[in-house]
Amino acid sequence: MHLLEVENLTKRFGGLAAVNNVSFHVDEGEIVGLIGPNGAGKTTLFNLITGFLKPDSGTVKFRGEDITGLAPNKIVNKGVVRTFQVVRPFRHLPTIANVLVALASPRGSKKIEWLRTPEAKALLILEKVGLTEMMMEPAEILSHGDLKRLEIARALATEPELMLLDEPFGGMSPIETDFLTKSIRTMHLDGHTMFIVEHKLYALMKLAQRIVVLHYGEKIAEGKPEEVAKNKKVREVYMGGAM
Amino acid sequence: MSTYLRRAYSSFATHILDIPPRLLALLFLLLLLAFPLTKPRSTYLIILTAANMGAIFAASWDLLVGRCGQMNLGHALFFGTGAYITALLNFHLGWPIGVTIPLAVLTTVAIAVLVGFPSLRVKGPYLALVTMALPLIATGIVFYFKDWTGGERPLSGLDHFFSFLPYEQWFIAQYYFTLLLLVVSGIIIYKIANSHKIGVIFVSILDDELSSRASGINTTKYKLMAFALSALFASLAGAISAHLAHLRSTDIGMLSLTTTFLAVIMTIFGGVGTIYGPIAGAFILQFLQRYVLVEVVEVETHWQMIIFLGLIVVLIIKWPRGIAKFTTDKLEDLAEERPIEERGKHIWKRERKKKSSHEG
Repeated sequence: MHLLEVENLTKRFGGLAAVNNVSFHVDEGEIVGLIGPNGAGKTTLFNLITGFLKPDSGTVKFRGEDITGLAPNKIVNKGVVRTFQVVRPFRHLPTIANVLVALASPRGSKKIEWLRTPEAKALLILEKVGLTEMMMEPAEILSHGDLKRLEIARALATEPELMLLDEPFGGMSPIETDFLTKSIRTMHLDGHTMFIVEHKLYALMKLAQRIVVLHYGEKIAEGKPEEVAKNKKVREVYMGGAM
Repeated sequence: MSTYLRRAYSSFATHILDIPPRLLALLFLLLLLAFPLTKPRSTYLIILTAANMGAIFAASWDLLVGRCGQMNLGHALFFGTGAYITALLNFHLGWPIGVTIPLAVLTTVAIAVLVGFPSLRVKGPYLALVTMALPLIATGIVFYFKDWTGGERPLSGLDHFFSFLPYEQWFIAQYYFTLLLLVVSGIIIYKIANSHKIGVIFVSILDDELSSRASGINTTKYKLMAFALSALFASLAGAISAHLAHLRSTDIGMLSLTTTFLAVIMTIFGGVGTIYGPIAGAFILQFLQRYVLVEVVEVETHWQMIIFLGLIVVLIIKWPRGIAKFTTDKLEDLAEERPIEERGKHIWKRERKKKSSHEG
């Protein structure tokens, strides 16, 4: 049984099929990448999996259980969490309280008993992503890179089995990218399965074990990073045949 | 015994005396407690009693709007429903206040959850419009059952809390009673708003509801909870207002837009989202409107409202984040300017004492 199984997922906006008959799966312990040119339907696919949009047809299964069209918070509490491409922090709350929100969710609060307090657990998570220094600052004064890491910290707080990261490296400096690559590896070792949308191919190729390529809402290729990079169709549509 | 006293004092010192805004609140409370000692006219006690109730009402609005971001412009619904239900039960069935007020509060909370369900499907200005319509519907119901509710005429002659006391003492008794209620409800609302679970979730809904759902929070549940908690305190204020001397009556104005906007003005004037802001705002505005403009300056009646509202506009422009927020920010800045060895001196004193006792 696959951890996440997407079958024939379709979503239309008017006449445009943003996601068209897409099927793939993610196994436990994998890091899977999702690439595609702008407008390929990557974020729509994320929204469909995590319940922010309801698909027109097709199913999403998590551990064999049908989660298609469930409310986003219910899906999070089953163990599938996502981050946003455009950061969405709680600007009025201190950084640590941003994490406390996720720890107050049913799944988040269930998993903290051994550390006894949510605050202690929040600190531990902030340490993982390297935000301890900023913990008492309101989220609105954080830099873009910090906010990206805060997104991941909030996702981690719900103790997900599967994390869907929407362009985690977007707008990051090379140093921040390196740091984040390391923390994603650590999280992977901690037992979180990853499904990552990314534009920075170099960073993604280093991380992912398998890559899915979308183009105009359709899956055009899937396989190991090297294979996908060599794929003729992928070169044509995604890299303009330049590679 | 003395150890307990010392421990109580040191906890009091660390939690209140060393935090300037709380110290200020304590001084203000002491002032309010001592006020009747000056043997004031009963008018002043009535004004302050109204301020106590207005403060609870405004603070409950602040919890819902300032903290949870649910733009409710029909808060008078909760206030008025609370007042009318207790009045109807007390007037027609003759039930004692001890029964009617809790019943009124519980019914209003149920109504709040009921109207909350459809209202929560809309957001922002649309929610404001929907909620604004609700007290109007309630007003229509009051008019429809004119024989029972009295329509535009008040239901008067309701029971008073302290009917066992002589009439002259009612005003002082109800003043202290409402002040006690204000302190208790104020602390409860403040604790809820600043709790690490519910309070934090409320603010997360205010900031970004979708993001809150992405963190696994059932936002619908918490929004309804905000509505219910807010309605609880608002209806408590309404129900008690109906039984206060000297009127002891309902008033169709309790369901009007003016009542809602009183809470809005008090909150914005004091500081949105602070909880203590609306409480401070309620007292300052009552003082301005009913004492300074009536007794001190003695302007004509129709000028009072113009001057009062003009003053509010000026003050809000001057302190957009609220007068209470401004004051506490200033106090905190002052506290930070103190040299480090003087900060939290009560704690230091205690430590030193402990050491010397060990040596002795």
